[in-house]
Amino acid sequence: MRKLSFDTVLIANRGEIAVRIIKTLRKLGIRSAIVYHDVDARTPAVLMADKAIAISGRTPISAYLDSAQIIAAARNANAGALHPGYGFLSENAEFARAVMKAGIAFIGPTPESIELMGDKIRARNFVKRNGFSVAPSAIEEDDPATFVSRARCIGAPLLVKPSAGGGGKGMRIVRKLDTLGDAIAQARSEGLRYFGDGRLYVERYVENPRHIEVQVLGDAFGNVVHLLERECSVQRRFQKIIEETPSPALSPGLRKQICETAAGIARAANYRNAGTVEFIFGGGEFYFLEMNTRLQVEHPVTEMVSGIDLVAEQVYLAAGCELGFSQSDIMSKGHAIEVRLCAEAPERGYAPTTGKILVLEYPDGDGLRIDSGILQGQQITAAFDPMIAKIIVHSPTRIEAALKAHRAVAELVLLGCETNASFLGRILADEAFLSGHVHTGYLDENPHIAAGNSASDLSAFLATAALLTRPIRESADAVPELHANLGCWRN
Amino acid sequence: MNHSFEVDGVDFQLWLSPCQQGYRLRLHDKVIAPIAFSHQADSRGVLTIAGQREPVRYAIDGEMLHVRIRGRTCILRYCDPLRTLASTNQEAGHLVARAPMPGVVVKTNVSPGQPVSAGMELMTIESMKLETVIRSPQDGAVDRIHFNEGESFERDAVLVTLSEERR
Repeated sequence: MRKLSFDTVLIANRGEIAVRIIKTLRKLGIRSAIVYHDVDARTPAVLMADKAIAISGRTPISAYLDSAQIIAAARNANAGALHPGYGFLSENAEFARAVMKAGIAFIGPTPESIELMGDKIRARNFVKRNGFSVAPSAIEEDDPATFVSRARCIGAPLLVKPSAGGGGKGMRIVRKLDTLGDAIAQARSEGLRYFGDGRLYVERYVENPRHIEVQVLGDAFGNVVHLLERECSVQRRFQKIIEETPSPALSPGLRKQICETAAGIARAANYRNAGTVEFIFGGGEFYFLEMNTRLQVEHPVTEMVSGIDLVAEQVYLAAGCELGFSQSDIMSKGHAIEVRLCAEAPERGYAPTTGKILVLEYPDGDGLRIDSGILQGQQITAAFDPMIAKIIVHSPTRIEAALKAHRAVAELVLLGCETNASFLGRILADEAFLSGHVHTGYLDENPHIAAGNSASDLSAFLATAALLTRPIRESADAVPELHANLGCWRN
Repeated sequence: MNHSFEVDGVDFQLWLSPCQQGYRLRLHDKVIAPIAFSHQADSRGVLTIAGQREPVRYAIDGEMLHVRIRGRTCILRYCDPLRTLASTNQEAGHLVARAPMPGVVVKTNVSPGQPVSAGMELMTIESMKLETVIRSPQDGAVDRIHFNEGESFERDAVLVTLSEERR
C-alpha cells in the first residue's frame, strides 16, 4: 500500500468536481477542506466537506481565482495538499508555485509543465522538436520572404491564421491554392484590426475534424502510462457536450499510434500527475492540438472502462508515490459515454438559464454514474459555468451505452430551471451520432438538433397547467355545468 | 373568462369549464374534453386527456409552472390579468434597462440622481464569461440601481431605472 504524506486536502473548486474529489478523499481516509463563496454555501460539496472556509471577491468567480485567500485557507485547514480541479486556477503556473512555496503539495503537474503546455506555440514547437506530428505549417516570422512559397508547399486545404489570434477571428480556409494570396491579405488586415498584429501563420486544414484526446499519468520516477483515448467531437461553441471512449473512429492500429504518441509527448516533457494530450483527427491522420495539464471534465468515461480512480492516482502521485501499475496492467472494458447536463437553452442559442431547483431526481441503475454538484432547493445562478451535472453510462457496446444514456436523460427529473436535457436526448437518438459519424462541426451542420421541435403539441401541458392553477379552476367551478355546455353550443 | 399562459414567449389563451367527467378545455378553436387531474404525493399527478392517463411531475413557483410529461419538461408562466395591468402602471413615466440574460454585475458606471445621455454606459454585466455593457436607451436621470457590483440577477430583471427628465 502506498503511503501518503498528508492527511488533509484543500479543494480549490466548486460544484460537481469538488463533490467528485471529496468522494475519493473519503475512500482514501483523507480529510477534505473546501473554500466557497457565499453563493455556494448550500451546495453539496460545501455540505459534504469536513471543513469549509468562506472566501470572498468582487464577483463569485473572482473569489475562486484569489490565490492568496485560497492558500491562507489551506494553511488554516492544515492541508498538506491542494487539488485545483479543472478551470479556475488549475492551469496557473504561478498559483502552483505559490502553493508549493507555502509547503503544500500541488495535486497536478510541475509549474514548468503548466508553463510549457500553456503557451500554444511553445508547446507545438516542443512536440515537433521531439519528433511527434503537428499539423504541417508555415510560420511567417521564421522567414517572411519565403512565407508564401512555404505555405504553398504544404498543399491545400490550408488554414490561414493570425499569429496573435484566438476565437476564430481572422481565420481563412483556402481550398484552392490560387486564392492563397487573397486569403493572406484578408487575414492580415483582420489580424491588424482585431489584435493590432498582422503576423500570420498557415497550417494544414483538416476537413470535418474529430477531437480525440488521450489520458496520461506520470510519476516522479520517469514512468508514464496512457489510459487510452476519449472522443469529444460533439461540441457547441468549442465546448464539449458528449464524450465517449473508445472512439468509434479509430482502428486498433491508429489507436495504438495515437495513445503511444500521447505517452511519448508526456515522457518527453517529464510530465508528472494526470494530463490529457488533445489531437485533431481527420483523413486517417492525427495532429497534436494541445495538452491540458489537469484533470478533465470528461475523465469519468476513462474511469468507467479502466476501473482506475484518476483522482486517487493524482493524490498518490502528488504525494511522491510511484505509479501503482504499468502500461500492460491497463485494460479497457466496454464502452462509456458522458453527457453534460447544463443550465442552458440550446433552443435559444444556448442562452444560460437560472432558477431554483424545485424537484430533482436522478435515474439510477447498473453502469450508471451521476457526478452532480446540485441539490433540490438550490438556486442556479449565472455566476458560473452552466454545467451542473454529468451523466455517465457504461455498457458492453457503444449502441447499448447510447441507449442507456438516452434512457437516463429521459428519466431525469429536474424542475425549476430549464436545462439542455431534451437536447442531449435528441443527440443520443440522432442517426449520425448513433452511427459514429460526428465531427466538431456536427451541431453547426445540424441546427435542427439544437432547435428542437417548437411546433410540437402543448395541449397536455396547457391542460395540466390550467387544472393546477387555482384561479382558473375556481372560475371554472363557479360556472354551472349546464351554462358551460350552453356556452359551447353558442359558438 | 379567458386565461393565458406564456410558453417560450408565446401566449396561449384558454378557457376551462366543467363538464360531466371533469373539465372541458378550449384552446383557440380546439376543444378538449373531458380532462381531469388527480394529485398524488409530492409533485406527482395523473392527467387524463383524450382517454389517456399521463403520469405528470410538476412544481409550482409563484406564477411559474414546471410540468414534465413523457420525459419532456415545459415551463409555463400564468399571466394573471390583474397583475399584468398593475406592473405596466408602475413603470409608467420610467424607463428601465433590463437584463438580456442572467448574469452578474461587474461594474456600475453611474450613481442615482446622475443625469445621463442616450448611449451612455450604465453598467457592465458578465454572463457566460462575456462582458456586456448596458447603455442608457435615452436622455434622462438615474433613478435607481437595482443590483450592486458582484450581485447576480435573473433574465429580464430590471437593472437600472431611469426617469425621463433630467433633474
